[in-house]
Amino acid sequence: MLQIENVSVKVEGKDILKRVSLEIGEAEIHALFGPNASGKSTLAYTIAGFPNYQITEGGICFRGKDLGDLPIEERAKLGIALVFQHPPVIKGVKLSKLLERISKQRVDVSEFPMNPELLGREINNGFSGGERKLSEIIQVISLNPSFVIFDELDAGLDIENLEKLTSVIKDKLCNNGVSILLITHRGDILRFLEPHTAHVMLGGEIIGSSDDWRKTWDTIKEWGYEKCKECPLSPARL
Amino acid sequence: MRSVRSARYLQLDSEICQISSYEGVIIWPSRKAYDELEWTRDYFEQEPGEGYFIWVKQSIARPLTTRISICSPQVSQHPRNLVVIEENVEAEINGVCNATKRYLYGSHIGRSKIILKENSGLTMRHFHKWGKEDFVDFCIDFFMGKGARLSHTYKCLAVPKTLKMESNTFLESYSSANFEVVVLAKGGEVDMYDSTFLNGEKSNAITRIRMVSDKGSKIISHTKMVGNEAGTGHLDCMGILLGEDSSINAIPELINRNNGASLTHEASVGKISEENLNYLRSRGLTEDEAIDLIVAGFLGEEKPTIIKGRAVPSRLYM
Repeated sequence: MLQIENVSVKVEGKDILKRVSLEIGEAEIHALFGPNASGKSTLAYTIAGFPNYQITEGGICFRGKDLGDLPIEERAKLGIALVFQHPPVIKGVKLSKLLERISKQRVDVSEFPMNPELLGREINNGFSGGERKLSEIIQVISLNPSFVIFDELDAGLDIENLEKLTSVIKDKLCNNGVSILLITHRGDILRFLEPHTAHVMLGGEIIGSSDDWRKTWDTIKEWGYEKCKECPLSPARL
Repeated sequence: MRSVRSARYLQLDSEICQISSYEGVIIWPSRKAYDELEWTRDYFEQEPGEGYFIWVKQSIARPLTTRISICSPQVSQHPRNLVVIEENVEAEINGVCNATKRYLYGSHIGRSKIILKENSGLTMRHFHKWGKEDFVDFCIDFFMGKGARLSHTYKCLAVPKTLKMESNTFLESYSSANFEVVVLAKGGEVDMYDSTFLNGEKSNAITRIRMVSDKGSKIISHTKMVGNEAGTGHLDCMGILLGEDSSINAIPELINRNNGASLTHEASVGKISEENLNYLRSRGLTEDEAIDLIVAGFLGEEKPTIIKGRAVPSRLYM
């Protein structure tokens, strides 16, 4: 579904990603581990097509189509969706209004663990951490995507809320064959959404990938990310 | 006149086409008020030729509606309006001033005085929609008695070639005023002067201005809050620049002449943040659709106007 080949990315003149390669198949869940500022979010924004993220080499294909300079909204229309770590406040625009404008499929909010009043509030204005993530997930589901990037979904969420949200993700996305890239540096989400493959990013490079996410995560927990440099994981999917 | 369901004043060009009152509310042409009610002459600078006189003597459940429209080419309107809300009376007025076509080259020079007597309350919504080549100059003064309450919304989403507007508000003790001014300018020049005078202790006023300047437009917004007595006042001016050839000058001014008064302001003018645009585009909206949504949110959601028991968006009756 998604092929990233030797992609290097510059943001505001600074080289951030270095020859990153990654392939995600239909209905697969991949995890991308890495410490803060390792380039994980840069990869997410690059896939989504944000204008300031300039690909200097390599390319990204989605379902056989070269994304090239395709603008953000065209990528969204192809089925690429991003759950933001820090979504901005959109003053004066209610969540219900946004859903009205963007939805490709009807979303029954009664199926979500939320107070329906959230729909009548300004997007992300005064939302709690859980509400913000829930709003993101509802928006993304309404887009009927085929590939979703979750940027640090587990950041700022307690385990109880994380469990509720991952249950929605499984039900509405995973069970419908949607491919997923989970970006995380805490790993809390992994116990609820078990990835098929895990990748480790450090200094803007993917330094290893493995089909055994537990082994990868245990290594990171025990030795830290730096150890991954010395202990290359299985390059099975690269 | 008691049979009419909604009291209203309708003026097309210079002709009064409909005017109706009901129990407790008098709606007359201003000229008639000037002729028959001597006390109203204190409020008219000279004998009025056009405009309405509304005298609300008892509280009303439904809003009064007024409309003054330019319908023919090169019409020059000079409405002189006077609204009086009696003591302890509550009222609601929805007023529209507009041009029915985009190129009528009309002018509308209006002067309104709104008198709120002691402990009265008024909710007033004022909608303007003009043609590309019109000239509009209007001034509205509010005189607020002790304990009076005012909520005034002015919204103009289609500005004329030149729009000059002035508003002066004088608050006595314990009175409160809440102003919301919303202007979307596309290819016009807007000059706004808004002054509020806290003339009584514990008077309170908030002015909230939202302006968007696009397609070569120029907006100048002077807002002034004057603390003559121990009241509180706040100015909140925000602007978005859409076109590169557009400009906004926001000039808030606080004048405090009483050490018991508290005056504050906040102001910002800028373009739409890339972060917000990219966020909405990532949801599949084009850049233009994202801008429209952000601007609509910034200018505020329109509350529907109730006419004859039905919710009607202002754009439908303009």
